[in-house]
Amino acid sequence: MSFLAQTMRQVLRQVPSRTAALAGGMRSLSISPAFLQQNKPATESVDISAISKDQQKECSNICERINQQVAKSEQGRLFAVVHLCGKQFKITPGDIILVEGYWPPTIGDEISLDKVLLAGARDFTLVGRPILEPGLVSVKATVVEKTLTHTKTHFRKKRRKQYMRINFQRSPNTMIRINSIELARPVDGNSEAEVEPSKRLF
Amino acid sequence: MSNSHLFMKSGFPRAPLQNGLGRYVCQLQRITLKFCKNNGSSRGMRDFIENHLVDFAKENPGIVVYVKPRRHRTPVLVGEYLNGDREWLNCRNNTQEEISKWIDLLKTQNGSSSSLRLRKMWHTDVPSIQGPWTPFLLRSPETQGQVYPNTEASKPLETPQSATEKLIELFRQQQLEAGEEAHDLLSKKRAE
Repeated sequence: MSFLAQTMRQVLRQVPSRTAALAGGMRSLSISPAFLQQNKPATESVDISAISKDQQKECSNICERINQQVAKSEQGRLFAVVHLCGKQFKITPGDIILVEGYWPPTIGDEISLDKVLLAGARDFTLVGRPILEPGLVSVKATVVEKTLTHTKTHFRKKRRKQYMRINFQRSPNTMIRINSIELARPVDGNSEAEVEPSKRLF
Repeated sequence: MSNSHLFMKSGFPRAPLQNGLGRYVCQLQRITLKFCKNNGSSRGMRDFIENHLVDFAKENPGIVVYVKPRRHRTPVLVGEYLNGDREWLNCRNNTQEEISKWIDLLKTQNGSSSSLRLRKMWHTDVPSIQGPWTPFLLRSPETQGQVYPNTEASKPLETPQSATEKLIELFRQQQLEAGEEAHDLLSKKRAE
């Protein structure tokens, strides 16, 4: 099946005009979304020359408007989608989120959440690919509570086999309070190309 | 997994008194260590008191520590919290490490949490900033004024070509080709 899919993909790439018809034919197999998503050329840097002048102008105009709004601090309350311990949370200042399972930070620790997938305000949204460049949005949080969940009963039994086990378990939970979400520096449409990719985030 | 926890008291994540917004305040107020001076079941507790209790009290000046010896009773840990909760823990035959872990748990939690099932892992006072999503958001304005039932809108998005349609198409093509041939013949004859 994967071999078939690969050949199909090659065919699709060579014959762009027939893509729509083929995709229509393959819709019954319900893998066409995968076709459209996969094998996109990985763009490390934005090819600025390829973008037409009008679009560049529009882009810089939008960035400028966002920067003006932030400079006047008229943007209002910001929100962000952060990736934390394998889960994504939509947060705004004052929120409480819970991390399940073992997590080292203890109470009173002030941490910054660096994997910001999306940040937005009333009038604009910054979408990361997949995360926003490091240092653009600063999300500060405090660890408020570390506790255990209620006792969960793990009971298993096999009928007519004289087999019965009962286990009790409590897993750790960490409660985090979001203190602030701020735009650390002005938004610039072109600066994405200049960031060096090797920076460790957690 | 049994389902007995479904009938437990349930709730949502809350932190008392906006804790952590300005600064963090440890919620444990008092901790009482009760133990026996000569029974073996209190041995771990006695070791903990000898080796680590003074350090613990120095590290946490906000927590009042009481030590209460009593004869021939099991060792017990009791924590009292700012919200009035009181958590009682039996430490019979626990080792020193286990007791320090339990004390750490009492220190880091906001109240007794053992009897609350959480329904969500998230709490917010401002659920939406750009406005909640509705089905009419970002739709074309033409869809607003439509009258239903509407034949245009109720058609399937993509209908496969039926055999009849295919036949008709083939026939048309044939006719066209034949027509072209006839046209060619005509033009040839005209040229002659």
